[in-house]
Amino acid sequence: MSIGTTATPPEAATTPRPDSGPDPVPALTVESLTVRFAGLVALDDLSFTVAPGTIHALIGPNGAGKSTCFNVISGVYRATAGAVRYADKDLTRLAPHRIAQLGVARTFQNIVLTHGTVADNLMLGRHRLTRAGFTASALRLPRTVREQRRHRERAAEIADFLGLGPAFDKPVGGLSYGDRKRVEMARALCMEPRLLLLDEPVAGMHPTERSAMAETIARVRDALNISILIVEHDMGLIMRIADSVTVLDFGRLIADGPPERIQNDPAVISAYLGTPVQDTEPEPEAEPEPESATDTDTDPDTGTDTAEATAPDTERDSEEAS
Amino acid sequence: MSDTRDTTGSLDATGSSDTTGTVDTLAAPAPATADSPSAQARWSGRLSPRGRRAATVAAGVLVLLALPFYVTSFWLQTGLFAMAAVIGAIGLNLLSGTTGQLSLGHAFFLAVGAYGYVWLAAEPSGTGAGSLYGLGLPPVLAFVLAIVLAGAAGGLFSPISGRLRGMYLGIATLALVFLGHHMMLNAPQVTGGFNGRSVPPLDILGFSFTDTSPDGLAVLGVPFGGLERLWYVGLALVTVAWLAARNILRGRPGRALGAVRDSEVAAAVMGVHLTRYRACAFIVSSMYAGAAGALLALVFKRVVPDHFGLLLSIDYLAMIVIGGLGSVGGAACGAVFVALIPHLLTKYADDLPLLTAPGTTGSGVSPGDAARYLYGTAIVLVLIFAPGGLAGLAHRRPRRKGDDSPRTRRFPLRTRTAPKEHTP
Repeated sequence: MSIGTTATPPEAATTPRPDSGPDPVPALTVESLTVRFAGLVALDDLSFTVAPGTIHALIGPNGAGKSTCFNVISGVYRATAGAVRYADKDLTRLAPHRIAQLGVARTFQNIVLTHGTVADNLMLGRHRLTRAGFTASALRLPRTVREQRRHRERAAEIADFLGLGPAFDKPVGGLSYGDRKRVEMARALCMEPRLLLLDEPVAGMHPTERSAMAETIARVRDALNISILIVEHDMGLIMRIADSVTVLDFGRLIADGPPERIQNDPAVISAYLGTPVQDTEPEPEAEPEPESATDTDTDPDTGTDTAEATAPDTERDSEEAS
Repeated sequence: MSDTRDTTGSLDATGSSDTTGTVDTLAAPAPATADSPSAQARWSGRLSPRGRRAATVAAGVLVLLALPFYVTSFWLQTGLFAMAAVIGAIGLNLLSGTTGQLSLGHAFFLAVGAYGYVWLAAEPSGTGAGSLYGLGLPPVLAFVLAIVLAGAAGGLFSPISGRLRGMYLGIATLALVFLGHHMMLNAPQVTGGFNGRSVPPLDILGFSFTDTSPDGLAVLGVPFGGLERLWYVGLALVTVAWLAARNILRGRPGRALGAVRDSEVAAAVMGVHLTRYRACAFIVSSMYAGAAGALLALVFKRVVPDHFGLLLSIDYLAMIVIGGLGSVGGAACGAVFVALIPHLLTKYADDLPLLTAPGTTGSGVSPGDAARYLYGTAIVLVLIFAPGGLAGLAHRRPRRKGDDSPRTRRFPLRTRTAPKEHTP
């Protein structure tokens, strides 16, 4: 609440990035979004902006409204009030498949894959980029066959990118949890998204897989220059790869800014660890340790990586300040 | 690396999909470095089962082509009924098996196809109260238009079929059956009322699919009557229906329909237009039913309202459950099973215990009832012991030591082990 950057940074939203070609990645702007389920307020007047080409993290304790926010952005839930602006469109008014057409892809917290092989699942991701209808498919027109072959090759590339190459033609039912999690990610990437929504991409993975996935996410941003909105409970990972962080608690925004500022924000610390009863003075400084201590495996990296990640962030800070 | 995958990919696209392939790769995961030898090994290893499969298919086709030369008209007629059932079941399987939409209205669309063909092909006849309408179109055109008509009927229902799902769609389609039955009885000028209407025979460019004209046609000394001639039409229709369904299922629409069944939320965020795909599945399935109905009419030579009741719809559901949901071949096997049993029981009623031939007095069960008992039992057995149906049995691979991958099964209409719907 204290650092709430509700105003859109105009530079970030309008200036196309130099290397993004003719079709610049638009900013995602959540404006005063409110979602109520009967009496429960899941999101309360939430506003934040995902700048183009950045990794933006959405964090908060359980039940804070992160997944609700994802579901509204991807069109699965309707908003009670407010708007989600993306590419001159209000996503709250569009059906999920129309949002997908705009290049918004998402993964799910609990893996949602369809029957069939990895290839089948990835080809489902190519749905929005392919045209073949019932008649063309039934007749196996040359155009359809070519289209299928071409997109299958691209899907295979993406599978390789995520280390799923050897499993490409295997049924997803037989894959390990981590592999299925990667299939979800690959399927989302197969949509060639310009905005990627990742709902807890490393939840339940073991440390090696986590750091591999973190690296993959960073590589996706750098290679494809797309925006990524990520919900994750792994603070080490967030601090390492996120360019900016939005913190929710009980559906309200309590902090928004670069990770290192979030790390020391008193409101965030109290949301995660509770407010001290009496002496408020010394606690905030002492608290961050136990939290990051839970991610001991990723901790050594955190120091160096955040240092690297700070450079662009300070630039953006100055933009926001101006 | 990419070479090996390309070959396996193309093989899988044509071969019998996941079974043989996964066994090979699970048993001996090919090292990524040894590219060409592993590719070689796969080629030689894969070709033989593939060749065997091709040989089986070729043999089956030859037998089917040769049957009219050897069997009596009873078997030809029964076989043609089975063919109509195969086409209808493939269509219902697209809707219920692949898309997970329960339909009890298949009989209605069969009726639309059957009566549509009769109405389009028949010459108007009679006067006064007994007059019958008909457009007198060439029978082939009428056949095609009957399929289109059934599709259009499905399309008219699409505002409902695109929005309802599961059990609710089942109930809504149930209404169609009763509506259809009522219309058949109360539009006697089109349908002939309770007694039905005789079916104009098929005729392709003057070649009639009846016992006459050309009279006394014989091939290799075997007289070729209407059933023999129709047999090949049936075979051609089944082939087209089978290939089209297989291509749809392996292509983009099939993946989208499967996604609609497995998780509507995931399908929608992948860009699948849920309402449109649900409606399309319904329309395509109706067109299959229309083709099946028109073929059925040609074989029966008379269409009567009572044939197209709720029991027929249930027969079709039984076919796809016994055959295996989501599989074209399975639906075909199930259809043959369910379509053949009543005819066989009727033919051999005198020789079988507990059965009484129709028209005679006895204490036994009539063949029609016995058939329903039989495939009722078959459904229960299939659901308990082979949830994948006959197709699942055919694809079941022997479990090996060390192969801990769970068997992939196709479950009926979204039941327990289907991936859980995302509960955000």
